[in-house]
Parts: sequence; structure tokens; C-alpha cells
Amino acid sequence: MVAVSSVSNILIELGAVLLLLGVCGRLAARVGLPSIPLYLVAGLMLGEGSPVALEASSEFIRIGADLGVVLLLLLLGLEYTPEELSHGIRTNWLAGLIDFGASFTPGFLGGLLLGWGTVASILLGGITYITSSGIVAKLLADLERLGNRETSTVLSLLVMEDIVMAVFLPVAAVLIVGASVVEAGLSVLLALTVVAVALFVSLRHGVRVSRLLDSTSPELLLLTVLGTTFLAAGLADKAKVSAAVGAFLIGVMLSGQIAERGRELLSPIRDVFGGLFFIFFGLQIDPGDLPPVVVPGLVLAAVSAVSKVSTGWWAARHAGIGPRGRRRAAAAMIPRGEFSIVIAGIGTAAGLESELGPVAACYVLILAIGGSFAMRFVA
Amino acid sequence: MELFETPLPGVGVRYEFTSAAGDRLGVIVRRDARREVLVYDDRDPDACRATIPLNGEEAATLVELLGGTKVTERVSDLRHEVEGLAIEWVTLEPGRGLTGRTIGDGRIRTETGSSVVAIIRGERSIPGPGPEFELAAGDVALVVGSIDGVQRAHRLLTS
Repeated sequence: MVAVSSVSNILIELGAVLLLLGVCGRLAARVGLPSIPLYLVAGLMLGEGSPVALEASSEFIRIGADLGVVLLLLLLGLEYTPEELSHGIRTNWLAGLIDFGASFTPGFLGGLLLGWGTVASILLGGITYITSSGIVAKLLADLERLGNRETSTVLSLLVMEDIVMAVFLPVAAVLIVGASVVEAGLSVLLALTVVAVALFVSLRHGVRVSRLLDSTSPELLLLTVLGTTFLAAGLADKAKVSAAVGAFLIGVMLSGQIAERGRELLSPIRDVFGGLFFIFFGLQIDPGDLPPVVVPGLVLAAVSAVSKVSTGWWAARHAGIGPRGRRRAAAAMIPRGEFSIVIAGIGTAAGLESELGPVAACYVLILAIGGSFAMRFVA
Repeated sequence: MELFETPLPGVGVRYEFTSAAGDRLGVIVRRDARREVLVYDDRDPDACRATIPLNGEEAATLVELLGGTKVTERVSDLRHEVEGLAIEWVTLEPGRGLTGRTIGDGRIRTETGSSVVAIIRGERSIPGPGPEFELAAGDVALVVGSIDGVQRAHRLLTS
């Protein structure tokens, strides 16, 4: 039985947190920045050593953050149709490989140089690899660059990154629980098989699966899709392939009309819980831990910005884009955001390396803001 | 005239062409009814000088103004020739009516006495679709029957 006073405390704290997110989001929109860095800062301010400590609502925020990750990945899966994903793999695998090699390496080596273990370094590689498709897609639309010819190059690189994430996350999850090389190899195979099966099912039977879950009532649609997703995410987590991947694959398997309407209905829910996730990530970090990691964060940001710029520039040139378009494509690859934090969150939750959280926060703050400015002012 | 088609993952498809006068034009066909009309820049061939976002209704109006609806012209001719027979073009909207379901699901012939005799999907036409044919948003169904029957079929298809 929950005491009345604790309910009121939870509501008060939660209200304050959501309001703070709202104010940050408005501020970000006013100055033309993505909201993620401001959410992070808000989380840092409320975290350890801050005068206003969250107590009553911390458990709710923790669960909300977990749901946020699941929803972020579900919407990522819904974002692209199965045809776009399979087309992406067939036509962009080389660019995807170069992208991965160029931008995973700085993080991985950086982690080793900081004296971290192999697993934490691999996670840092993932953090420096994954461009924020959320920030980039929003900015491309805001800057009216969706029609530009280099934009299709940028978007197809982002599709490849998302496919790589589907494999990277379960592998990282297995490595974290301390598996041997053989087990890790098996899990890579398992992950690849599951992704391939999901793609196959959605290409062949997507219409049938989607019709089974579809409904003209928004309420029933939401309940069925959310239920299926949480169930799949939970089962995936039990099987140690990370809840995020289960959610992503459900997103991939839904296609057509249900995907269309699911995106519409679920995006606002994702934004609320995603906001809680960024706050929660910030909460776990003591702001006092940030100053020592500013220099590594800056160096990582600089090196991996250069590697992304080169990848974007090369891919655009390869697609026959002119010099100005190449510069725009290069800048559009810089912003990092939600998925870098998702990867860092997985590592932090497993208690891997105490510096991982602060470094990732610092890194994302620099490149979410810096990358947005680069995109805006490159032309 | 050569029309280039480029997929934009997560957004839709972009079409572009160069007009005889030398202007490069494009259209982004979003997954929903929204469209963007693009006018490319002469100095920077990869960038757009203007991007004009249109909602579904505006796009449909623009098409009509540009005289693209040869289909409607033909239909109005037909209507003069055949008295007492109603013919209607019904556009399926996302998430409503029979969109995402089959013609058979709607039991149009049983309920209204009128028939869906053809479907226009994008640039393709599908004459004589069977009851198992699945309707998608943006499809245009050609319904033939009595005036009353066609009206009822229209309601079945769209609401």
C-alpha cells in the first residue's frame, strides 16, 4: 500500500521533471538546437551533488528511462520500410563498412588509451560511430535540405548505421555479461540470423503480420503495438540480446499502414519517455566527474568529427555530388545523440567503467551542439 | 523527358527532371499525402533554390491546375454519354475506410450493387481487380453503378 504523501511527492517531482524537459525543449527550439543536449544538462543539474535531489520519483524515472530506450528503438525500426532496409544493405554495404571502420576505430582506440577494458572500449567505439539520425533528419527538414541531391546519400548512410546497430547492440550485450570469444561469435551469428529472419518475415509476410495487429481505433492500435513491443523487448532481454534489439525488430517487422499510423501515434510517447531517459542518464553522473574528462572528450570529438566528415565527403563524391553538396553531406554526418547515449546507458547500467558515462555525456554534448552548428553554417 | 527516381529512406521518394527550358525541378513524394515541390539552384546543382511543402489537398489542387487529371476529363465525357449510370473516382485515404483491406472485405457489390472496375495505383492501372485485391492509401478506385449505389460504395471505401 502506497502512502498518500509518497504519491503526492512522486507527482510533484515528476511534474517538475517533465516541466523542466518542456522548458529545455522550448529553449532549444528557440535557439535552433536539438533538445537532447539540454535534456542531458538538465539531468546533470538534478543529479548527484545538486541542491534539489529527486527521491520519491527516482524509481519511476528509472523505469521510464528503460521504456524510453525501448520506444526509441521501436520508432527507429518503424522509421524505415523493410524494402528501404534491404535496398540499403544491397547498395550501401561498402559505404557502411567504411563508415564503421572510420568512426568506430577512434572510440575503440580512445578507450584503450584511457586504460579501459576491451568491452568498455568497444562501447566507446559504438558511441563515436553512431550518428544521430534523430538530430540529422530534423535538421535536414528544418534547413529545407530534404530535396537536395546529397541528402539521399546522407540518409542511406544513416540507414546502414541503423542496421549495424541491430547487430552491434546484441553483441555488446553478450560481451558485457562476460562471454568467451566462441560465445560472442555464436551471438553474432544469432543476432545476424534474427535480423535476417525479421527482415525476411517483414518482406514476405509483413502485410499479414501488420494486418493481424492493425486496427482503425488508435487506442487498440497503441495497446497491441506497445504490448507486442514490450513483450518482445522483455523476452530479448531475458535471452541476453538486449531489450532494445527486440523492440527494433518489432519496428522493422511492422510495415505499411500500421507502421505509418504507429509512427504518428507513438512519436509523442517516445519523446516523453526518451526525455526521461536522457534525464536519467544525466542523473547518474556527478557533474564533478566532468572536468577531468573534458580533454579526452574534446579529442575524441575532434578526431571522430574528422572521420565522419571524411566519410560523408567521400560518399557524396562517390555519388557524383558537387563540392558544396559534399561539404553539406560531410557536416550532416557529425551530430551524435540519442543512440550514443543508449550505448553508454547499457554500459553504465552494467557498471562497466566509471568514466564511460561522463565521457559519453561530454562527447555527445560537444557533437550534438557542434554538429548542429556545422550543419547550419556549412552552406 | 527523363525522370530520375531516388529513394529517400525514412521520408519517401524524390523525382527530378530537367525541363526543356533548362530548369531542374523535383518533387518529394512523402509516404503520407504530403508533397514537396523543389526548384533546383543553377549555381549549385545539388541544392534547392526553393522548397515548397504542400499538404494533400494543396497538392491535388496544384495537379488539377497543371491539367494533370486527364482521367477526370475523360470521366466527365463519359458521364454525358451514359445517362443513369454513375461513375465515380474514389481516392483512398490513409487509415480510413477500406485502406489496407481487400475489396472483398468491404462486400461492396453485395451491399451497394455497384462494382470497383479498376484501380489506379501511382502510374499503373489495374483493370478488373478481384475481391482479394488489397487497397492501399492513395489508390484511386473507379466505381460504377447506380447513382445511389455509387454513393454508398464511396462511403464504404472512405469512412
